[in-house]
Amino acid sequence: MSAAVLARHEPVMGTVVSLRIDHDDGDTGGLEAAVEEAVAELHRLDRIFSTWKPESPLSRWRRGELPLEELPPEVPEVLARCAEAKMTTAGYFDPWAMAGGVDPTGLVKGWAIERAASLLPRDEVLGTLVNGGGDIAASGSEEGRHPWRVGIRHPWRPEALACVVELAGGRAIATSGRYERGEHLIDPHAAATGQPRGALVVSASVVGPSLAMADAYATALAVAGEDERPLGGVLAAGYEVYRIFEQGREEASDGFPFLAEGTTPAGARHR
Amino acid sequence: MTRRTPLVSAAAMAGLGIVLLAHVGAEPRLLASSPSSAGGGSGNASSRGGSSSSGSSVSGTASGALEQYGYGELAVKLTVQKGRIVSATVTGLRTADTYSQQIAAQVIPMLRKEVLAAQSAKISGISGATYTCSAYATSVQSALDKLHLK
Repeated sequence: MSAAVLARHEPVMGTVVSLRIDHDDGDTGGLEAAVEEAVAELHRLDRIFSTWKPESPLSRWRRGELPLEELPPEVPEVLARCAEAKMTTAGYFDPWAMAGGVDPTGLVKGWAIERAASLLPRDEVLGTLVNGGGDIAASGSEEGRHPWRVGIRHPWRPEALACVVELAGGRAIATSGRYERGEHLIDPHAAATGQPRGALVVSASVVGPSLAMADAYATALAVAGEDERPLGGVLAAGYEVYRIFEQGREEASDGFPFLAEGTTPAGARHR
Repeated sequence: MTRRTPLVSAAAMAGLGIVLLAHVGAEPRLLASSPSSAGGGSGNASSRGGSSSSGSSVSGTASGALEQYGYGELAVKLTVQKGRIVSATVTGLRTADTYSQQIAAQVIPMLRKEVLAAQSAKISGISGATYTCSAYATSVQSALDKLHLK
């Protein structure tokens, strides 16, 4: 029995979401149906949560055209997760502080990908990987051989990686940074005080069980600089953190799952 | 918190081209046509008909689909000779504003270089990728699909 890969790339949520199922050779009809279901879910959630689409329920609520009670149940669910993330991050993740009204975008992408990934089969396949613009949810392993290996983009060198991590046991990773268009990175504290907080974080990666929370935590840590309060909350919640500061200083929590030194991303490429 | 050694090893740098391809699920197949991976024993079982050092006999040129990337759109034209990508050019690039244009101008040459240089590393995704990367990778993949290099 050999491993095979089923892959799908779907433009949705303003990016391309890649879904991949590694499985033993055989009938893939059921797997393809599961991928279709996951893709359909992504589009459905995009229609609900898009802040770019004026007709989305979220947009209508933001404009005051819809009461909260009439919104799809996914909206209060997401807002509850947002409230949890706000508390954990000492207010650095705060959708309620965004100009233009409540904007849960910083959590929604990870949440939607996590949800789509949960629709893929787990037990009867070798592994699944869902990657939406760098927010990645994994289960199982790559071709049944080793934990999924994911590179973290280097903040200043788009052609390079800062490091490679292994995602084992259904964990997820999200990275937020100032190298991308960063309008969504708003520091609610700095906005209030006008004071930056020490060295800037140029890239923050968070690994843990929930991609929704990892997404929000990475956003918070990218704006928190050297204020260590959100870091403490995120670590206490059971997530691992890797940050790159301006001028290249790197800090990682003890359990951050770096691919072991000496293991190249190429793996077996070097005999 | 642990401090780490300085950023970026050569091995890691070799990775992005593959990341782009792996990201779109193509890398096991590309690996099959890469002499540098021959005999690596990596067991790319998914590379159906996986040729080894002899490489694929596929040659030709194809343009990938025009891909949206949030702030614009681009398409990639690939030329393949004997199963290896020998040229990758961006044929259609429209960006929404000047800022995106600047970013794309910086990023795309690097992506091109990496696609050409690194057809053999092995990771399955990248965290923190840009919209542009995804569009580029997707267009590359659609061009590959047209060339049946898969």
